Amino acid sequence: MNERRHHAGDMSQSNRRRSAAPTSPASPYGLPVIRRAHWGWLVVVYFFLGGLSGLSAVVAALASLTRGSAASETVRAGRYLSLAALIPCPLLLILDLRKPARFLNMLRVIKLRSPMSLGVWGLILFSLVSGLGVARQAASDGFLGAGRLAAVTRRLPEQTLAIVTIPLGLFLAGYTGVLLAATAVPLWAKRGLLLGPLFLSSALSGSAAAIAAALAVRRPSHGEVTALARLERIATLAEAALLWGWLTRLGATAKPLMSGGTGRAVRHGAAGAGLALPLVLNATATITPAHWRRSLTLIASALTLLGGFLLRYAIVFGGNRSADDPAAAFALTRAEPRR
Amino acid sequence: MADSAIAFSAKPNFRSEAVGFLTDATLCIGCKACEVACKQWNDLPADNLGPMTGMSYDNTIALGAETWRHVAFIERTADESAIGSPVTWLMLSDVCKHCVNAACMEACPTGAIIRTEFDSVYIQPDICNGCGYCIPACPFGVPQLSAAGAAQKCTMCYDRLRGGLEPACAKACPTESIRFGFVEELYASGVARIAQLRERDVDARLYGDRMLGGTGAIGGLNALFVLNDAPETFNLPAAPDLPQRIVPRAFAATAAAALVLCAAAIAAMQERS
Repeated sequence: MNERRHHAGDMSQSNRRRSAAPTSPASPYGLPVIRRAHWGWLVVVYFFLGGLSGLSAVVAALASLTRGSAASETVRAGRYLSLAALIPCPLLLILDLRKPARFLNMLRVIKLRSPMSLGVWGLILFSLVSGLGVARQAASDGFLGAGRLAAVTRRLPEQTLAIVTIPLGLFLAGYTGVLLAATAVPLWAKRGLLLGPLFLSSALSGSAAAIAAALAVRRPSHGEVTALARLERIATLAEAALLWGWLTRLGATAKPLMSGGTGRAVRHGAAGAGLALPLVLNATATITPAHWRRSLTLIASALTLLGGFLLRYAIVFGGNRSADDPAAAFALTRAEPRR
Repeated sequence: MADSAIAFSAKPNFRSEAVGFLTDATLCIGCKACEVACKQWNDLPADNLGPMTGMSYDNTIALGAETWRHVAFIERTADESAIGSPVTWLMLSDVCKHCVNAACMEACPTGAIIRTEFDSVYIQPDICNGCGYCIPACPFGVPQLSAAGAAQKCTMCYDRLRGGLEPACAKACPTESIRFGFVEELYASGVARIAQLRERDVDARLYGDRMLGGTGAIGGLNALFVLNDAPETFNLPAAPDLPQRIVPRAFAATAAAALVLCAAAIAAMQERS
């Protein structure tokens, strides 16, 4: 009602010309200017699993290219984890459509300025290439038997597959940030350049954590676990810096995000449980006896993954709340340079 | 200063075949004939006639999947605390802006949203799969998902245009507050109308024009508005821009971050002595 009162004050002056922009523009009756997306939990889970799948494959590919057989455990776990996270992804996307039977209409066109169109094609390409990589891994691991199928699969060019997987996996984890940025939603659009990098770093910390956990279950003091812990630390620090930078540069636009459930998810979930605690736990793990190390690694990994999930929850649902905020929408569309 | 804004406002680059609306808030009497004509012609169901909103005479509230014209009533009182204080209304029939570069159309991953031969923006109902991306993409909050699942908005009465008729809302408007025609001509009469209104000391502006900060990469609106208050008062963003403008830069920023993270990952995974 403050907005209304301000408006009434405006009127009492006169109906004459005023200087171009009102000082504090108000939406009549506080109604939203733009409309929120219907995206909810399905999209949150997809953002999380897509990032995990993409960067698990990337970590596996990088390890295989630079370390070879010295990192064979990381490569194996990364590839299988990537496949497991990938399988629900198309299903989640189709279920989120309001007309799921028409999902194939996504394949009518390729639109370079529609991140969703690019994302669909990216997901398909990534599935094909990383699928071949997993098949190659399964053949080496003896899961395809000893017949002709296994022989043919083993002949797949491992290095080439790894090299092609890297950009596709990075795209799968990062495009979702661009997708959100290319909307009129203040929370997503205002500092949209940072969303892709934020999602990437979060996917990297989550993937490193998940692979480390898979390895630590069997051999907690393995050198590869230590290498993955280093990787997780770097990604977590990058994610913390990006999250901090994004939130501070959002200013008042972050209000709907930082209040209520999404606010708790960012503060306690993404930042507290997902970034700070794993850093402390992993640092502690390096100076504790081996039998403690495994538990610490597993707890840190679980927290990192939980944090990454809550980050996406907060950004998606916080964006929906931000779409209802007329003041933020008007602040984004003032007659002045935007970014 | 405001007058020089008119003089310096270069004409947007409308396509010569483009048709559209000029909706004049100073001529609207709030009869809602446009809303009704739109619903009748397009066979759209009535809006929820539940409890009244209490927001003046506006129970439609906003554009929606089945509401393609919305007459906004904005009540203004000189002194809200004084009983019996005179009330004035702003009235405006809002509609899809049929942007020259439309955010919904850029976002649409199925190609369901197309530009017609009349330069209007049209959602093909048999193609849309209800992904919902056009909805947060639109800077004006126009398209909405229907109960059946597809995105819907004003079609500019594509079927009537094909048959050589003007859209139902423009036909029904009794005060010519809604005018239909070639956008170039509507723009010229909009500019002339603003000048006329300002001579009478009305606080008038042409919405979508550069005098308000323009529409950025949207490049102009095929549905123009004559407003007698700030755009925000009518719940319209003053200087909207095309959200997809960020896409190349956002992908570049993401690629740069990807390179740095990959380099860090390779370094982190090396054997330490």
